[in-house]
Amino acid sequence: MSREAENTLLLLVGIATAMITIGGAFTRYVKPSMLPWLGLTAVVVIGLALVAMAVDIRRGVAHGEDGAAHGEHGEHGDHGDHGPHGDHSHRGSVAWLLLLPVVVLIFVAPPALRPQAFPPSVTAVSTDVLRREFPPIPDGRAPEVAVPEVMVRAAQDTAGTLDNRLITVVGFTLREADGVDLGRVAIVCCAADARLARIHLRGPAAAEAAALPDETWIRVEGTVITDSADGDSTSIPTLEVTKVTPIDEPANTYA
Amino acid sequence: MVSTLSAATARVWPGTTRPTVTMVPVAALKPAELSQKLSMPVLVAAMVAFALLGSTMRAAVDDSDALSTAGTIFAGVFVQALPFLALGVLLSALIAVFVTPDRLARWLPKRPAAAVLVAAAGGAALPGCECGSVPVARRLFGEGALGAAALTFMLAAPAINPVVVVSTVVAFPGQPQMVFARVGASLVTAIVMGLAWSRWGRTEWITRRLPRSTSGQGPRWLTFTEAARHDFIQAGSYLVIGAAAAAALHVVVPDWLIAHLAGQLLLGVLVMALLAVVLALCSEADAFVAASLTMVPLVPRLVFLVVGPAIDVKLFAMQSGMFGRAFAIRFAPATFVVATVSATVIGLLVLGGGG
Repeated sequence: MSREAENTLLLLVGIATAMITIGGAFTRYVKPSMLPWLGLTAVVVIGLALVAMAVDIRRGVAHGEDGAAHGEHGEHGDHGDHGPHGDHSHRGSVAWLLLLPVVVLIFVAPPALRPQAFPPSVTAVSTDVLRREFPPIPDGRAPEVAVPEVMVRAAQDTAGTLDNRLITVVGFTLREADGVDLGRVAIVCCAADARLARIHLRGPAAAEAAALPDETWIRVEGTVITDSADGDSTSIPTLEVTKVTPIDEPANTYA
Repeated sequence: MVSTLSAATARVWPGTTRPTVTMVPVAALKPAELSQKLSMPVLVAAMVAFALLGSTMRAAVDDSDALSTAGTIFAGVFVQALPFLALGVLLSALIAVFVTPDRLARWLPKRPAAAVLVAAAGGAALPGCECGSVPVARRLFGEGALGAAALTFMLAAPAINPVVVVSTVVAFPGQPQMVFARVGASLVTAIVMGLAWSRWGRTEWITRRLPRSTSGQGPRWLTFTEAARHDFIQAGSYLVIGAAAAAALHVVVPDWLIAHLAGQLLLGVLVMALLAVVLALCSEADAFVAASLTMVPLVPRLVFLVVGPAIDVKLFAMQSGMFGRAFAIRFAPATFVVATVSATVIGLLVLGGGG
């Protein structure tokens, strides 16, 4: 690949990074907290590409275009002045691979992970070893608690912070054999470490959620049934639902 | 995390999407020259073609669960690594400008063993992801003790930096021995590999040459931007291979593999070590994934945490890009074995056989 094409590809990688950062699509792939770092990365990559292009244009004017063939290694000194280095290894073509993320990020823009990405896995294991006291959830009538947080607290909390507390949970509907679940995809770092978190919806308002099509985003209010997840990893906590409100899909679909 | 949360896997994976670039044969030119001359027009044509095909490709990806999962995981691994790679190449460019091999040799202890220990301590202090440390290590690399120190740094920096330690503490609440075992086993791996290199390593395996970092030619800022540009393109291209491999393996590695590991120490160690290689998680997230695999005993999970930052498909691709294939095919398997063994031994000592 010529140096000119390498610089163009570098610029495209920077532009793709800037596009997903500004457009917000990056939250499909990584945590929202990566925003400033991705912005800086875009600036650095675009900057490197533009500097290299500017340098080449100045040299091109001074030395004519014949330097391009030696520019494979793209290092200063290749152009006339100091003579070509001569050790042309064959790294030229590998830079083409950078076209893949450019195409994926700009033109394909894969969607955020959906529940179909997660096959059912059932393994019963005691989580007793992880049991500890959790700090209390926020005050208020019905504080919002994330789906994975509800699962962890239901299974491992020895302080009973969810007992008899009305909470608000946001997620999408997921039908299962005996009713409807509230699901949310949880990521720690990037989409590669995603997990599907879910809680059962039961009680007076659960029928409303069950009537909705799969993967409808809803906000539910309810109380976790005490000991519905009893320290066994297969047990999914159950929420006694009192209110279901359909909502728009949030900008960041991950928890 | 509770382990009902299931791993991001799906059943089928029909093949990696790869940009197809067709070259027009022109008999008069040699292939190398030809690809040089044609690369810019081909790039422009490819971008136009992809722009026109955009909606078709998007529809195809949306329709297939396997394709969209793989695409999202590819984008996840790549986008997550990008800032660390940028940081890494900026650091390696600074090294290219200010740290000449003889200057570094003057700073480091002469004896390889001492140099390796200094490098391990240096790696532990610097927060960084594995993707950033490969180009940095390549810049630091040199003859003798320098080479051993650079490789130790490469293995130590991502595995035992402050961010990783904190995330491991958070992921394994109430189990500080997990943190100590992880730091200890990673440190042992880095030091053993550094010493092994100074004993058995051969510089002729390093087939990839860096552009001469010359202080006499041109202004310093130009040396800096050219080094950063070179390292970004080189390491970034191989990161693409690694991210694509990780995405492909993510969707084909079956879940039952993990589900049957309860109580099987040796099998568990082997499977978790291989899983660390194929999943290519970033070292700041792997602790949470390991924590969620509650059905697996602690020692295999420790192996997962020690092997992952030291060697995985993404790192193997990047190492063969920055150092050369002859180096990577020797160094990567050796790292794998050393990391697995040291994590198992330290795990059994610190965590106990029962896990």
